[in-house]
Amino acid sequence: MFIKVTAVGVIALLMLPVLWTLLISLASDPDALLEGELDLTLQNYVDLFKSESLNFPRHLLNSLIVSSLSAFLSTLLSTLTAYSIGRSGFRWSGVILTLFLGISLIPQISIAGYLFKIFSSLGLINTYGSLVLSHATLSLPLGIWIMHTYLSTIPREIEKSAYIDGAGSLRILFQIILPLSLPGIVTTFITLFLFSFNEFLFALMFTIDHTARTVTVGIALFEGLHGQIPWGYITSASLVSVLPAVIVVLIMQRHLVRGLTAGAVKG
Amino acid sequence: MNRRIILYSLPALALLFTLLVVPLLGTFYTSFLRDVSYLDKGGLTLSNYTNIFQDPTFWQSLAFTIKFAGISVPLELLTGLIIALLIDQKMIGGGLLRAIVLIPWAIPSVVSARIWELIFNYSYGMINLITSNILGVRVNWFGEAWSALLALVVADLWRTTPFVALVLLAGLQSIPPELYKQARVDGAGRIRTFFGVTLPLLVPFLIISAIFRTADALRVFDIVFVITEGGPANQTMPLSLYAYRFYAGGDFGKGSAVSVVLFLASLLTALVMLGYYRRKRVVY
Repeated sequence: MFIKVTAVGVIALLMLPVLWTLLISLASDPDALLEGELDLTLQNYVDLFKSESLNFPRHLLNSLIVSSLSAFLSTLLSTLTAYSIGRSGFRWSGVILTLFLGISLIPQISIAGYLFKIFSSLGLINTYGSLVLSHATLSLPLGIWIMHTYLSTIPREIEKSAYIDGAGSLRILFQIILPLSLPGIVTTFITLFLFSFNEFLFALMFTIDHTARTVTVGIALFEGLHGQIPWGYITSASLVSVLPAVIVVLIMQRHLVRGLTAGAVKG
Repeated sequence: MNRRIILYSLPALALLFTLLVVPLLGTFYTSFLRDVSYLDKGGLTLSNYTNIFQDPTFWQSLAFTIKFAGISVPLELLTGLIIALLIDQKMIGGGLLRAIVLIPWAIPSVVSARIWELIFNYSYGMINLITSNILGVRVNWFGEAWSALLALVVADLWRTTPFVALVLLAGLQSIPPELYKQARVDGAGRIRTFFGVTLPLLVPFLIISAIFRTADALRVFDIVFVITEGGPANQTMPLSLYAYRFYAGGDFGKGSAVSVVLFLASLLTALVMLGYYRRKRVVY
């Protein structure tokens, strides 16, 4: 009984803030709502996609492009790296993996300033390029760890026989290992996509206006446009931007949990 | 097998070197330069460090960063442990709990910050709605240092507890069932079993979660940027935001100096905790 009450309480505490946000986003007048009048409308959501000054559709598109490209690049490089560390028989591979884990603990701000200089000199500020490259780099350690846990579950005998048959290591990777580790690759891609989609500091520093600005920066800077905080737009934009992620996470939850805890549990 | 396989790591290592190692070294170097936009650069100098060390805001943000990590990490471990134990009960609805726990994790930190900014908002917040109806008062949560800190800790707790819960759940599920059977045979009750079997075996997982969470708490930026912007009167300013302000104002020298301090503090903390972990790791 006690356990059930606690569980219900935890679920309520986790969900209530989101439900409150939903309610505010649907209220035609938040002041009236607090007086007890329930008058719901989708106007905020319509405005969000129609208003040109908000640039919300553009921010969303930027986020989707940056996240897809950086997740693709990072997943590809993570897979190659995890494969090479796991199969090279290199004595220091354990140390290298721990080092990667250490890299992921670095405060982002301690590289952000100098990265800004590098991207400035390459003309990449306010373009997708700076975000794709910086997000891919930052998410590499996480990707390598997740792929490493997946690849280490594939028996080596499979490769050995292919190797004896004369297949090269790159062919073994693409024709044998990758099809077998497809769930791992999908998990890695989704985790790294979310990583990039959620990232804020680099997206804030390396963009200037809507040409490359991502949705997290857009939502954080909403209030600069109007005198008071436009809660209707903030809440509706927040919910729209998390909806796809939440659906994917709920569908993929078992795989994601395994990937998410990979580094922590094996480390 | 094939030794050349190690070459497949090269693209990733090249990227990490160019966009992570070089910027890190560059930040160290820049911290010893006068590097302000539109001004001449001088030779090597310690003035960035002497300047920030004389700035009360630096000490204020260092103190806040430590306070924030010191309060939020233990709370996250505790709530994470409670949720992990709940999911591990294998009761009806446990799957629902496990799925719902993931939602705060999947939400961008900026969005969760906006959600909690709304919950603590003076006019439209759920909390003031409750306090005004029950106690007849509204609280300006972001007006005082202690309540602004409380709002930040709660927002951080909500977003990051799922990660801790899932790591600890993996830990709980790695405990061999025979140990629980043995404890029952020995006549230990639920509470004795928890403190005698579960908790000691969970210690490595608690430390690992603490290492990740402390690193995250020390570099906190997003939620503070959105919710309090460091206020009131810079009393909730973390080091990341303090450094960002310098960068945004074009002072890369001072921004780098603050970043170096934060980097070294994080490194030291992680090494101390890792050393503790190595001593506590149990093999069973």
